[in-house]
Amino acid sequence: MDIAIRLDGLTKYYGKQLGVADLNLEVKSGEVFGYLGPNGAGKTTTIRILLDLIRPTRGKATVLGLDSQADSLLLRRSVGYLPSYPSLYGNLSGHEFLTYLASIRGGVHWPRVTALAGRLQCDLSRPIGALSRGNKQKLAVIRAFMHEPQLLILDEPTSGLDPLMQAEFEEMVREVKREGKTVFLSSHYLPEVEQLADRVAIIRQGRLVAVEEIQSLRSRALRRVEIEFAGPAPTEEFARLDGVSNLQVYGNTLRCDVAGGLDRLIKAAARHTVMNLKTHEPNLQEIFLAYYGDDQQEHVT
Amino acid sequence: MGMTNKNMLHNVFLKSLRDERWATIWWVFGLGLLAALMMAIFPSIQGNDDLNSLVESYPDNLKALLGFSELTDVTSAVGFLNAELFALMAPLLFVIHGVILGSGAIAGEEGRGTLEILLTEPISRGKLVIQKFAAVAVAAVFLALALWVVLVVGALVIGMEVSFLRIAAATFSLLLLGITFGSLAFAAGCFTGNRGTSVAIVAAVGVGTYFMNAASGIVSFMAPAKWLSPFFYYNAADPLANGLNPAHAAVLLSASAILLGAGYLGFRRRDLRV
Repeated sequence: MDIAIRLDGLTKYYGKQLGVADLNLEVKSGEVFGYLGPNGAGKTTTIRILLDLIRPTRGKATVLGLDSQADSLLLRRSVGYLPSYPSLYGNLSGHEFLTYLASIRGGVHWPRVTALAGRLQCDLSRPIGALSRGNKQKLAVIRAFMHEPQLLILDEPTSGLDPLMQAEFEEMVREVKREGKTVFLSSHYLPEVEQLADRVAIIRQGRLVAVEEIQSLRSRALRRVEIEFAGPAPTEEFARLDGVSNLQVYGNTLRCDVAGGLDRLIKAAARHTVMNLKTHEPNLQEIFLAYYGDDQQEHVT
Repeated sequence: MGMTNKNMLHNVFLKSLRDERWATIWWVFGLGLLAALMMAIFPSIQGNDDLNSLVESYPDNLKALLGFSELTDVTSAVGFLNAELFALMAPLLFVIHGVILGSGAIAGEEGRGTLEILLTEPISRGKLVIQKFAAVAVAAVFLALALWVVLVVGALVIGMEVSFLRIAAATFSLLLLGITFGSLAFAAGCFTGNRGTSVAIVAAVGVGTYFMNAASGIVSFMAPAKWLSPFFYYNAADPLANGLNPAHAAVLLSASAILLGAGYLGFRRRDLRV
């Protein structure tokens, strides 16, 4: 099976309100696929259709070669799901919660659960109701990974996790990928998927805007750069550079947006004495600007 | 406790029972206490003709509303238990119990967001509905059993002359009434996914059908309305005096089955709430 997830004209309306429109997408087996979009763009709607929690208005989704509606039960055996705001059973302990879901699943390899809990430093003995958001998130991560699923569907997975645990989580995703499994990773935040994803789809207002290799996406992304020079900023020199736009100067400090990599800019700056250099991770808004061109940009700015 | 606890997490049915364990204990305690108090005052009422003539002097309309028949002798064992327990108090409690559990089963988990976790495990919606409903029904059975035990023990202690089999018939009828309203609440929760809406629907239907049954004995043009009321099938045949009426019991059972089936169909086709 070469295609892990396939969407054919997938459309969902909530009454008259559009959820997602005419999504066509193929996620290959064995890849980590990023699903990027701002909140409310339709990421969770797509995922909920894949898991048959909601039904499409038109079109269909095929997951691991199975129809998302007709074969949902079979499909869910092979899928691990992490919801974006997981609601767990507050009256159970972590251990009881995982025992319950493992039983419904027909049993899991328990040493695997213990190992995951150890890696994420998750105390399974405490009642879930008394846990912090981050610790609840860890439990939800364990439940998604514990049965070693063929496909992981992760909705905003690292929200609530501290940086150390985020790194551990990323390592877990890489391991799963090495085992040949597929990961569908949804996020509104590029850095969350940038490190992990092979390819990325961008969804906006219910429609797919682009599906790209992460490399080419990064090169098209606008990156905001701020350089502080020892003397007055050499404005002319930078304004002439390809890919530089939105140039502003405040005394010795120069600010601009850069598309297509920082190499030219760094080499230009290196001819002067640089006191400080700051770059910001390109956020989604900036990537959308890159995709929508100048007319859109004027509307936003 | 640890081992039992783990066994109680084996499936949705056992876990749902486990979730209700403390509530069930309190219900059993409260209902048992009520029944025990009733039994304790019976010796002072037995054969008290003044009380009988007082009740007989009630207007017929009031008697109908309270669920007394014109033949009720409140100083006899059957008349007393009917008047004090089976006419109003016990059915009210069983209906409330059924509604709380029935509305909470699907719609409660959906409102708390845990249904999304459950339904992304490999369990079908049909299996979930059956197991959830079974837990509601079994909790009601515990309640009915407890009531029967307290009444039987009470009758033995005070020497009340009443058939234990007939008490069982009346209690079983009570159980069917509770399950009927529990099914209605369950089905309403299946359709709407909203616990509050489910409770509101059942409250309206419960009050409405109670008065349909009561009014059928007061106003002649309302007489046919009783056929639509679960309260009629529950106690009109007086199972405490006459034993279980199989036809009436079958109506309540069928109504529950139909509501459960409809609830499943409603739940199967709809989107889960966020």
